[in-house]
Amino acid sequence: MSKSKRLVYVSEDLIKEAMEIARREGKPLGVFVEESIELALLAKKLGYELKEAADLLEVTKANRILGGAFVPLSVFNYLVKVVSKGKSKSFNERWYESGRLHGKYLKEKFEDPIRIFKEFLKASRWDLNEIEVIDGESSVKLRCFSTVLTDKGTEALLKYVEGAFHGMGYETIRSDYMKGMIILEFKKQEDTKY
Amino acid sequence: MTLKSIKRKSLFAREDLVNRLLSIAKKQGRSLYGLVNEIFELVIRAEDLGVNLQKAFKERWILKKARKDGFILVPEGLWYEITEIAFQNSKDETLKRWFEAGAWLAKRYIEVETEKPFEAFKRSIKAYSWNVPEITIEEDDGQVSVRIISPRMTESYTTLYSVFIQGVLETFGYKISGKSVSTGAIRIKAVRKGQDVKE
Repeated sequence: MSKSKRLVYVSEDLIKEAMEIARREGKPLGVFVEESIELALLAKKLGYELKEAADLLEVTKANRILGGAFVPLSVFNYLVKVVSKGKSKSFNERWYESGRLHGKYLKEKFEDPIRIFKEFLKASRWDLNEIEVIDGESSVKLRCFSTVLTDKGTEALLKYVEGAFHGMGYETIRSDYMKGMIILEFKKQEDTKY
Repeated sequence: MTLKSIKRKSLFAREDLVNRLLSIAKKQGRSLYGLVNEIFELVIRAEDLGVNLQKAFKERWILKKARKDGFILVPEGLWYEITEIAFQNSKDETLKRWFEAGAWLAKRYIEVETEKPFEAFKRSIKAYSWNVPEITIEEDDGQVSVRIISPRMTESYTTLYSVFIQGVLETFGYKISGKSVSTGAIRIKAVRKGQDVKE
């Protein structure tokens, strides 16, 4: 490994923040710099760009806080079918409440909770082939498409997404779905006056 | 619009690392200064969020692998509830589905990970069990010992997860020689088929 050094330029503000972190961690600034570059190279080696790595950070944080469990999709689909038999309403309410909790958390923690929610769905629900979020001036449209999602699975996911948006302070203005397809539109709730 | 000049400072960094960054910057048609700043911004943001970047990158690997293995990520609390209800409503079929899911996963590793499929399976299942505080799978001389401890698991979920592991082990060519399952704790011992159990 080369021991020679080269000069690199960094903005002064960033250097100040970096020095503060290095001080907190009890390491020299030079070590902090090298570790940072090594991490960036690792990201590159693993096949993603820095922007993607930045999104991943937030999703990872949200996943860990909210508690996600890996489950086999085949079992998941079967259990959803069994559980929702005749009890669709209470089952869907559970999904709605779970979504609302997630939405509230994202709203509290992130500047752009909708973007993080989309990343969250992309990272956790790969049974969805496509997730599209259009953040317009007066409303937010969300569309999910899946070729493997069952009827009941679609309903449950719809309630979860709806709950998440309600938790983020939106209300539903359009809700449409069929097996493997969810189309939702929301608008920002007006502030409640007390 | 007021233009604010950004003050720059210089830092020394290892030459081999800087050279690699230079090559990336060149490929992306951007300046080394821009790339280095972006790296610092990312690391500082991670620090602010309290996230270990290296761990985050590894978790990304887990997400990609889990997708290939047919797993999805669902809210844990909700998952335990669903499992509980399904187990009460349709016990035998639910047990069968879990066993089959384990068998399917093991078959996939046998087919795809031709070098050391059981080792690859162990790595993956440990990674997917990030919500399980203790999971050990030891393999020695044709015998396997599995120990899973999680206070969060319900009684039904523990039973179902043990059946899932059983499906995996049997498909990998092991015969269950001992099994103990109680709420939140699974212990399974298995021996390669055709081999005697060692005392």
